[in-house]
Amino acid sequence: MSAVAESNYYERRGLLGALGRDGLLQIILIANTIIMLAPIVIMVFSAFKSTSQIFQSPFSIPDFTQVGNFVKIWTETNFVRYLLNSFVVTGASMALILTLGTMAAYAIGRYRFTGSAFILMFFLAGLTLPLKLAIIPLFMLMRDLSILNNQLSLIFVYTAMGLPTTVFIMTGFIRTLPSELEDAARMDGASEARIMWSIMLPLVRPAMVIAGIQNVVPIWNDFFFPLVFIQNDNLKTLPQGLTTFMGEYTTDWGVLFSGLTLSAAPIIIIYIILSKQFIAGMTSGAVK
Amino acid sequence: MPKLRMTGRGLWITVLVVPPLAFVALFIVYPILSAFAYAFFDWQGLRRLDFIGLENFHTVLFVEPYRSWTLNAFRNNVIVFFALMVLQNGLGFILAYALWRELPGARFHRVAVFLPVVLSTIIVAYLFKLFYHPLFGVVNISLRSIGLGWLAQPWLGQSSTALWSLIIAQAWHMVGFPTLVFLAGMQRIPGEILDAVRMETESEWVKITKIVWPLVAPSATIVFTLLFVGAFNWFELPYIMAGLDGSPFGSTDVLGLYFYRTAFGNVSAGQQDFGLGSALAVLIFIFIAAIATVITLRLRAREIQL
Amino acid sequence: MKANLIRTGAALAAVLVAAPAFTQDLTFWSWRQEDRAAYQQFIETFEAANPGITVKFETFEAANYNTILSTALAGGTGPDVMMVRAYGGLENVAAAGYLEPLSTDTVPALADFAAPALAAESMRSDGVIYAVPFASQTQLVIYNKAIFDAHGLEEPQTWAELEALSQTLKDAGIMAFANGTATAWQNETVTFGLGSSLMGKDFYNDLMAGETDFTDERFTNALAAVNDLAQEYFPEGFIGLDYPSAQQLFSSEMAAMFIGGSYELANFRSQNPGIELGVFAAPGLAADDEKLVGLYFDGGYAANAAGTHKEASITFLNYLASHEFGQAFANTLSNISTVPGVTFENPLLAEVNELNQSSIPYLMLAHFRYGEPSGSVLIQGEMQKLFAGETTPEAIGEVLTTGLAAWYEPFQN
Repeated sequence: MSAVAESNYYERRGLLGALGRDGLLQIILIANTIIMLAPIVIMVFSAFKSTSQIFQSPFSIPDFTQVGNFVKIWTETNFVRYLLNSFVVTGASMALILTLGTMAAYAIGRYRFTGSAFILMFFLAGLTLPLKLAIIPLFMLMRDLSILNNQLSLIFVYTAMGLPTTVFIMTGFIRTLPSELEDAARMDGASEARIMWSIMLPLVRPAMVIAGIQNVVPIWNDFFFPLVFIQNDNLKTLPQGLTTFMGEYTTDWGVLFSGLTLSAAPIIIIYIILSKQFIAGMTSGAVK
Repeated sequence: MPKLRMTGRGLWITVLVVPPLAFVALFIVYPILSAFAYAFFDWQGLRRLDFIGLENFHTVLFVEPYRSWTLNAFRNNVIVFFALMVLQNGLGFILAYALWRELPGARFHRVAVFLPVVLSTIIVAYLFKLFYHPLFGVVNISLRSIGLGWLAQPWLGQSSTALWSLIIAQAWHMVGFPTLVFLAGMQRIPGEILDAVRMETESEWVKITKIVWPLVAPSATIVFTLLFVGAFNWFELPYIMAGLDGSPFGSTDVLGLYFYRTAFGNVSAGQQDFGLGSALAVLIFIFIAAIATVITLRLRAREIQL
Repeated sequence: MKANLIRTGAALAAVLVAAPAFTQDLTFWSWRQEDRAAYQQFIETFEAANPGITVKFETFEAANYNTILSTALAGGTGPDVMMVRAYGGLENVAAAGYLEPLSTDTVPALADFAAPALAAESMRSDGVIYAVPFASQTQLVIYNKAIFDAHGLEEPQTWAELEALSQTLKDAGIMAFANGTATAWQNETVTFGLGSSLMGKDFYNDLMAGETDFTDERFTNALAAVNDLAQEYFPEGFIGLDYPSAQQLFSSEMAAMFIGGSYELANFRSQNPGIELGVFAAPGLAADDEKLVGLYFDGGYAANAAGTHKEASITFLNYLASHEFGQAFANTLSNISTVPGVTFENPLLAEVNELNQSSIPYLMLAHFRYGEPSGSVLIQGEMQKLFAGETTPEAIGEVLTTGLAAWYEPFQN
């Protein structure tokens, strides 16, 4: 950001001093990266080993053609079902969050009406409330709605939890959009719905990506609500299914590690591809 | 912005606003308000019996054994919060500062430090549980192989190390988050200010304490508040690694586990008690809200002064 | 005569016509997911003998079963027939009035059931039975026969012999015991699986009679002995070893003994079909001290008091209390059925049944899980402290007695 200032600085301070300081920082970064990656590397390596290999040489590079552990998981466990359930629950929640969140944000951001400030406050209040603490009434509510042991319970809770951040991010973004296009369309007699759908929505996509990533990771990873709401093994999501699975295969560490690896793989791969968007999305609530 | 004139547009706004509002009202606001109401009743299983006023609150705060359970869990939460403040936020600040220099490889380091953040806490918890295994875990195997076998411990089995083992796993999991929030804060510091400081001083320390730290204060406020809320809501990691009882003998018990156990029961303590559970939830909730407000206000005030 | 024939004919016709119309569909809930196939078989047998009644078997996760069940019963969507827990776990459900009271009038076979089994499925307040008990579990020592034979070891008759044979194994580089105590409830299992004979029947009787409490030397000395044995002969770092890892050490034949419940037997065999198992009751100090196992009842079958097919439910309960069912249950599920007169074709099961003849109840579950803090929670935490060297057996006795005094009347003075 200030390359000129940088170079001045180096000149004045002397190359050696700067190198010493930067060297220390570089060492810190490298050490930290090793600590960050080592557990994941050990996990992936162990996934290709037999239990006794893991016990004897946990750090050795395995024979990556040994995929027996993965085959076992794929064929002998409910893993694929958990994975599908996670996709269904996360997908449905995200669709609802983005649809409803954009609707509310659009109304608050584009129209002036009495109570709009109050409505925004109402959503923002939900931003920091730890919903876990309301699990008892939520449990009773789901029972009264007859959706305990039903993935709808998860989808509804996730949607409600995702809306505050989404409305927050989207409203801010929608307010910055210029109104010329909109006004022109209104002159031409386009309906409000038409203006929203074909003129404004295409413009808010970047904000949707940010809001989407901010919500998709916690929903995909959530364990607490399935723990309380879902009992039927066929309805479990991946993190919850993982606990069932870890309980069943305790004796076979190779299978355990490959189960962890398989569970982590989808999100790690997407993260590596989209790391920029992930970092922006997940810290967006905290970065002003 | 056009003013609201026609009823047609009023209807349109209603259509846009009501469904999302309904979700938040039904699944967030209503349950939280109900949690407050539930705490004033006696419960038998899922049946609500009589209104008993503050009885449940009195029980969890002043009647044994609940009193010592509550205190013990609360104390552990406090330890967790302060430990993570150092290990997660403190380390995060240092890492952010290092990344800010844009040294070669900074992009890679940035991606690496955030990688654990995207993982499910459940995966992290199981991974570290396997690592801490007394006989076959990587930690003890490594110590033995480099001749430090005497340092090998049953990490999760003794009260002196269990909570810290969990805290380290948690710090590993989440350190990337404050790092990148701080980094974003540092990247917004205007170049002119930095230049001006460089004229004044050579000391890196002065630069950090007088300029960088105050200028990332807004990020710090948010990161501290989030850590506080997170630390007092801590559940998944201890649930997987230490079990619902906060084994061994409550040394890893935290309010999240204690609340869940009281509300839904566990195998060894058959009773489930929604009344006591709700009272705990309300107390935790009020505590979090109060302290989070104080943190935010104080740190905000400091932001303005500088 | 003729009239009789006509009457019979009419009755028969009525049954034939009515049967399809009145087919009663019962739902039957259980937490035994792993026993599904066996129960389907039992149900088929029942349905064949009782045309007009069908039973649908549904299973739920064991850990949350009670919560799910009470939720459903409170919401009026409960099953007709269900497995319920025993002792405090039963009272949770029965006290709310969800369960149909049973008696020897409605289920005559109950008359022959053992008294402790019935007590486990009764409310303490009124002594009414709410469920047909189905199985007992025994806390004892399971050992690997091949390892014992290879080292010329035999089942110990005294505590000193148990220590000696553990030493022999340790010297030979084999873990004597596989147990770990990082998982809280395993502490209770270890304590009473090893210590019941040391505590002795007299202690149990005195405790029940209100003549002693947990500060009794017979109890605290047993805890001390259990702790000494664990420190010497449990795996290194056993306080950090969780339950699944302990099972793994035993089933992979790295350790020679496992203190646990009889429910582990089927488990070990399925994990390692080649393993040769034996069982013994942990001995007392002297050879002529009675060798006691810790015995408890798992649960029972109950009927929904608000069920729509109550009569059919009771018919089904009568089948579940029958000798025919008990025998099938023992044969297919390798469990100790509580139905009187059942024989065990599996020799190991027969041996467990034999050991059950001299037993004391698995103490905390049977008597001290009716209030907060439960005896189980206390002993689990306190034993973890003892194993970590942070308390003494005498202090545990104090903590248990004063802690339980919060709700256990005999201790309140």
